Amino acid sequence: MTAGAATADYIIEASALTKTFFGFDAVKDVDLKVRRHSIHALIGPNGAGKTTTFNLITKFLRPSSGTIRYNGEDITSLRPEQVARRGIVRSFQISAVFPRMTVRENVRIALQRPLGNSYRFWQSEKALKALDGRIDELLDQVGLLAYSERPATLLSYGRKRALEIATTLALDPEMLLLDEPTSGLGHEDVDRIAELIRRVSANRTILMVEHNLSVVAALSDTITVLALGRVLAEGDYQTVSQDHRVIEAYIGGTDD
Amino acid sequence: MTDLIGISPALLFGQLFIGLINGSFYALMSLGVAIIFGMLRIGNFVHGAQYMLGAFGAWYLYNLPTLFPGLGLPSINYWWALILVPIGVAAIGALMERVFIRKVYDLDHAYGLLLTVGLAMLIEGLFNVRYGAAGQRYDVPELLRGGVNLGFMFLPYYRAWVVVAAVVVCFGTWFLIERTKLGSYLRAATENPDLVRAFGINVPRMLMLTYAFGVGLAGFAGVMAAPIYQVGPQMGQSIIITIFAVVVIGGMGSISGAIFSGLMMGLIEGLTKVFYPQASTTVIFILMAIILVLRPAGLFGRDTSVHSVADVSSGRSGSILENGRLWFVILLAVGSILPFMLFPIFAMKILCFALFAMAYNLIFGYGGLLAFGHAAFFGAASYVAAHMAAVWGVPPELCILAGVCASTVLGALFGWLAIRRQGLYFAMITLALAQIVYFYAVQADWTHGEDGIQSVPRGMLFGFIDLSNAMTMYYVMLAVFLAAFAFLYRVLHSPFGQTLKSIRENEARSISLGYSTDNYKLIAFTLSAALSGLAGSMKAIIFQIASLADVYFMTSADALLMTLIGGVGTLLGPVVGAAVVVTLQTKLATFGAWVVVMQGAIFVLCVLFLRKGIVGTLEEFLSNRITRQSDRAVAGEVDGKAKSGIAS
Repeated sequence: MTAGAATADYIIEASALTKTFFGFDAVKDVDLKVRRHSIHALIGPNGAGKTTTFNLITKFLRPSSGTIRYNGEDITSLRPEQVARRGIVRSFQISAVFPRMTVRENVRIALQRPLGNSYRFWQSEKALKALDGRIDELLDQVGLLAYSERPATLLSYGRKRALEIATTLALDPEMLLLDEPTSGLGHEDVDRIAELIRRVSANRTILMVEHNLSVVAALSDTITVLALGRVLAEGDYQTVSQDHRVIEAYIGGTDD
Repeated sequence: MTDLIGISPALLFGQLFIGLINGSFYALMSLGVAIIFGMLRIGNFVHGAQYMLGAFGAWYLYNLPTLFPGLGLPSINYWWALILVPIGVAAIGALMERVFIRKVYDLDHAYGLLLTVGLAMLIEGLFNVRYGAAGQRYDVPELLRGGVNLGFMFLPYYRAWVVVAAVVVCFGTWFLIERTKLGSYLRAATENPDLVRAFGINVPRMLMLTYAFGVGLAGFAGVMAAPIYQVGPQMGQSIIITIFAVVVIGGMGSISGAIFSGLMMGLIEGLTKVFYPQASTTVIFILMAIILVLRPAGLFGRDTSVHSVADVSSGRSGSILENGRLWFVILLAVGSILPFMLFPIFAMKILCFALFAMAYNLIFGYGGLLAFGHAAFFGAASYVAAHMAAVWGVPPELCILAGVCASTVLGALFGWLAIRRQGLYFAMITLALAQIVYFYAVQADWTHGEDGIQSVPRGMLFGFIDLSNAMTMYYVMLAVFLAAFAFLYRVLHSPFGQTLKSIRENEARSISLGYSTDNYKLIAFTLSAALSGLAGSMKAIIFQIASLADVYFMTSADALLMTLIGGVGTLLGPVVGAAVVVTLQTKLATFGAWVVVMQGAIFVLCVLFLRKGIVGTLEEFLSNRITRQSDRAVAGEVDGKAKSGIAS
């Protein structure tokens, strides 16, 4: 394997990623390196291939060609749940909670998997009581402790996003992929979620797709701009925001 | 002419040609089903009944003078029927779309399938009431009588015409949809109805016409079939399950896939009749299973690996209706006095089917998978238990155990095959796989075909409990039922049950949390099959018979109906549903052939007006009250406590 110095720096190394849908290249030859313990943002106009890239890295889509390495290991042919178990956990564009389970159960389902008793259909769920303390900690961290017995569907949109983050953190992932974490949120909620992201980024790597450029500017160490399925530019906010191709893509595009 | 590999060419070509004719019908029919599925996302189970309407339509037109004497009506011949009947059947289709199908577009696939199953039962039941099972004759049109001897085989003109006409119609339809502007609108309308609406196209009307067109194809096939097959109420029912398998093979929604695999499957069926006739009824279903392993999306299907199971459950955790301990005690109490209020045999029937419905509810309600072949598990266990008791004289506890083992193995195998697909696909695949078991039971020696295994001795349970006493038998059934109830409750409230619930609610999210969701679904499916087998074994011992009815698809439909009426995904729904359906079936038995009609009507009414079922509706009523109360409580509590939280 090529576990050299370069690998140690980068947690994700995707090279020449291509995904073709029915003859149309949604993502074409994308090289993406994500530095360990950084916050890396993926931006670009609608249809640029951001979510497709996300789905490729988390294996919810199978790349047409190209390779993905995670901590030096080739994960190109793994299934999504295998990637998740290796420590890459994603969120979804639309809020991903288990709507009719309570807030507590939502977090518990994530904590439960590493226990290894999830196939035990004969065991009482009392076996899961041991997780309660950790659940309370996580819920407290995102400010949802007061709602722990409510069905998730009754939460406001902002709280659902917070619950999603708590559930994700429950897995203690090495790497978090957030798909538009602030989309659909009110102004106040955006700040809170951004603050939450900054807080959980300690000792973790975060790759996020985000439309809100002020959130991107405030949080990201590195920004990759995608347009029409290709990498247009990469660098910190300063560099990227002054790149004329980026400006053109945004002004010429249909996006905000 | 000399024989080829020991088979006379006349036989070979004869069967191949019959295969080609059957294939033509398969192609025409699966084309209609594929269009309706592709455009409307409806699994049109009533397609078989619509095909039958076509055949009866031709027969009516021909016999107008004798059917309505004194009105001076002319007899309308085949050629006019070929034009008029498909239009008439399409009009009936449009009406059905308008009144029924349209109501379920926005609902889960399951409801569309249930609705069309109900409509099929309704229509076929009505014709059965009027005409009985016997077929009516319809003569080959004069122009196409006779045939030509090709030397190696005799070719009847009419059959050649069927093949040519079917191929022309299939190709024309393919061209219309894939290559014309109208077709592109249709395809666009299914992708993005709002956009197409913005172009000023009336989408609802377009969907209605599409449905009518698909149904018209079935009507056309029906007219063509009238001179070849007997015109009878059952003709559609026997073909529709095969059609579903053909559509799965071709790739759901694929127009060319449906045509190609329709013709292909007909030919393969014909060849099987020559080389291994025993397998000719099942070969299509077996091929479907093989293709699913090799190409899960079907021959021409695109791989759409969507992760979404259906959450149609209406149970609410924490509700009093979901309190397992409480209801265990209540069921124990009610169950103990039941045989003093009802005939024990009737009470046993309720418990036995309640057990079956509970097993089914595990996969449909809690697993979110629309299984439609549970008769296979119920029936297989019933046959195994009956055979062991009747032929080998094995004690009942071992018969029951063997029955459960048989259904568990079968469940694991079918589950492994079917879990690759979801939604409507899953229903069609389980239905087709169950059909293999059905045809096996029809043909095998030890199952005794139409007779079934009769006079099964109840025997002595554990060597000292005499089951021939009805009351003893009843309390054993009650014990088995309560044990299964407790077991299921434990399953649902185990770490496994929690995971299963999360998959049902949001499968993609479960995967992203690292769960191999297919494994959980497979376990749930296998458990469900095992418990269905328990119900089937008990049925064989209690009623002392195992018969084809146990493995017939109507038994799968019964399990579904019970679960639906009672309340999908509720603890008590299957029990309530089984009690209602068994009571209805017993009361309606005096109406003879009307039973199927009324069951069909109940199906339709349930889908339209009682989707949450009896228990689900009650739950809704209760939870509305509770939510209002707790809203007030939480609002007060949270205002004081969580102002500083991160989420607003």
